[in-house]
Amino acid sequence: MNKKITELEPSTSRKRRRDEESEAELDNDDDDSQSLSLEENFTFSDTLMALRMMRSQFPRTEKVTVQPFVLRSQLYSSLKDRTQVDMELESLRRDRVLRIFKLNTGQDDHAVMFMDDYINQIERVVKRMEDKKQDDIRVFEWFKIHVIQSKLDTSIGHQELFSLLSWGGKVREEHISQLINAGLLIRQLIDQNMYWFSIPNIGSVLKGLSQGRKEVLSFLNRRKYKEMMLVSLEKKRLRLSPLDMRFHLRDLIGSGHLKTIQTPSGLIVKIAKD
Amino acid sequence: MWKEIKEREFGNVRPNLFSSRISKSRVSSIQLSNYKEILSSHRGSVNSLQVDLTESRYLLAGASDASVAVYDIQRATDHDERNLIAKHKPLFVLNKQHEHGHKYAISSAIWYPIDTGLFVTGSYDHHINVWDTNTTQVVMNFKMPGKVYRTAMSSIARSHMLVAAGTEDVQVRLCDIASGAFAHTLSGHRDGVMSLEWSTSSEWVLITGGCDGAIRFWDIRRAGCFRVLDQSCSQFGRRQPLLLRPTTNKKSSPASQSSSAKVRAHHRKSANGSALKPHTVGRISSLVKTAKQRSHPGMLSSHDRATAHYGVVTGLKVTGDGMYLLSAGSDSRLRLWDIESGCNTLVNFETTRLQSSKAIQMAVTQDSTLAFVPCMAITKVFDIWSGQTKSTFRGHYENVNCCCYNALDQELYTGGNDRQILVWSPPKFVSDETGEGKNGKAAATDDQDNWSD
Repeated sequence: MNKKITELEPSTSRKRRRDEESEAELDNDDDDSQSLSLEENFTFSDTLMALRMMRSQFPRTEKVTVQPFVLRSQLYSSLKDRTQVDMELESLRRDRVLRIFKLNTGQDDHAVMFMDDYINQIERVVKRMEDKKQDDIRVFEWFKIHVIQSKLDTSIGHQELFSLLSWGGKVREEHISQLINAGLLIRQLIDQNMYWFSIPNIGSVLKGLSQGRKEVLSFLNRRKYKEMMLVSLEKKRLRLSPLDMRFHLRDLIGSGHLKTIQTPSGLIVKIAKD
Repeated sequence: MWKEIKEREFGNVRPNLFSSRISKSRVSSIQLSNYKEILSSHRGSVNSLQVDLTESRYLLAGASDASVAVYDIQRATDHDERNLIAKHKPLFVLNKQHEHGHKYAISSAIWYPIDTGLFVTGSYDHHINVWDTNTTQVVMNFKMPGKVYRTAMSSIARSHMLVAAGTEDVQVRLCDIASGAFAHTLSGHRDGVMSLEWSTSSEWVLITGGCDGAIRFWDIRRAGCFRVLDQSCSQFGRRQPLLLRPTTNKKSSPASQSSSAKVRAHHRKSANGSALKPHTVGRISSLVKTAKQRSHPGMLSSHDRATAHYGVVTGLKVTGDGMYLLSAGSDSRLRLWDIESGCNTLVNFETTRLQSSKAIQMAVTQDSTLAFVPCMAITKVFDIWSGQTKSTFRGHYENVNCCCYNALDQELYTGGNDRQILVWSPPKFVSDETGEGKNGKAAATDDQDNWSD
């Protein structure tokens, strides 16, 4: 399964992508392959395929410092049956193909990241700490080997963290502080003994995410009828967010803030009233 | 309709199947009632509705202006002039002027399950009153330590008459109306208890949902709760029948048996703290030694911090067969739990927002296929197993707080912050009513013309 992920780079040949997707909507695409329009690629038939597709469409600019991840609301907007999405995500999570993280940008925001990307992200962080000549980075190895492989949930308790890290060596309080400083763990607000797992270096991206959401919603709210054609909306560039418009649209449609209406001239995006 | 009756007569269709087919088709055509209306006399938002369990005839409503009213939903008090809409006024209203009435908002009003001679109301003035319906007097009064959020009585109880009360205090109290005293308290929640329900399969099991996001199952004959629902412990939909089920572990991560383990009676043997694996005891630093204190087996559950929702649990509903639990939280999620295994069935109900400051009351049809959930100003009907929205009922001007399903007539009653109680029922055709008009004139038939012949 790992090999398949590395093969799926955004390619310039349209034919390969058509083989991998079974949707009929691709038959009429005529623009360049790097930026497939959202309207034609709106729904998928399988969660894993949707995840890979969205991962390949994740913006890779120099402003975005994090490996690709997909938001749960984006999956909900691109697949018809939400229960099926939940069940497939759960089985993929149990098979250790991907990990789910709870984000602090909203009430129920979750980010889905493939396991390899997460390990890459951790290694980037470790390398940066190595360059700064920080001492004792062994705790990251212990974390990668013992904690991530066995604890698949989004949060972990203090005692369990200690006991899992102890498999690697003698654990001290400073080790846990190192993990928190690197951004791998976050203390929970409601309970001091529980930690959320988190993606390191994701702070600027999350800020861009919430600001971008606000920008899209305020833009549509200012319009006379609070709606716009999807094709023209997609071409707009966002001022405040490094993530592209397609990312935000999928997320807002999936979380219910926007809804799409099929019209003879294409899809229209509208602010959802309730 | 006649064809189905003939099939039942000839024995092609069993009577149960016949009646369930009819009620299913009626339920799927529910809309805002065009022949029945309830004239609500409340001056505050309607917080609680319940139809009585014996005859399904009387609707009890509790509101924020400390008023309680009972409506007869089978007999109308008057009709409008063309005899088309039956209006139901309250049989009586008890408000703040009553000498022992409540002073602040009533959050919960329930009938005594055995007959309609008594009803119990819980209010934000920290009191629970037991009223006699016929004399409309308070016969018993319980003082609680905090605002009462919910009261519940078990509908299948044969040996106890306990009112369970969830308040803003962390302990759940059981009040006995036979003796007038408190039976006992259940501790384990870490914040107030906003929703509670008795199980429909056992008269001793109480299910509570707290403001800390946890859902706990209590057997009132024992101390402590015997199960805490954890949203990360999940199974895929319905459990397989016993003979076909594979023997693998259904828990999400096989290695993490220790920390979020459900406390069961046979785990009491390892009663030296709940969160440690036995063989790693030697490596724990001194900071976590406090968890090794011996605690009472019933209090082990207080260490269990599993949450069922990321916010407050605002509503609970057990299905009629006692097998599944529907829970609503202020994280705008609805979850369906399998009670026997304690796992989240991962059915996704599409809700954008659910109200988070007040408790909501949900309803489930008798055959447990549809769930009625108030979502802000609309009421959504969900198919329980697929999570799809079957229909939405728009009618209230403000948030809907409670809904109650009457299985006898296949009607739904909803109460909201706009002080109205709306009736949703299968449509009745106008031509059915013309024969019984009070006036005698058949003025209601639409296709009769006014020419003289």
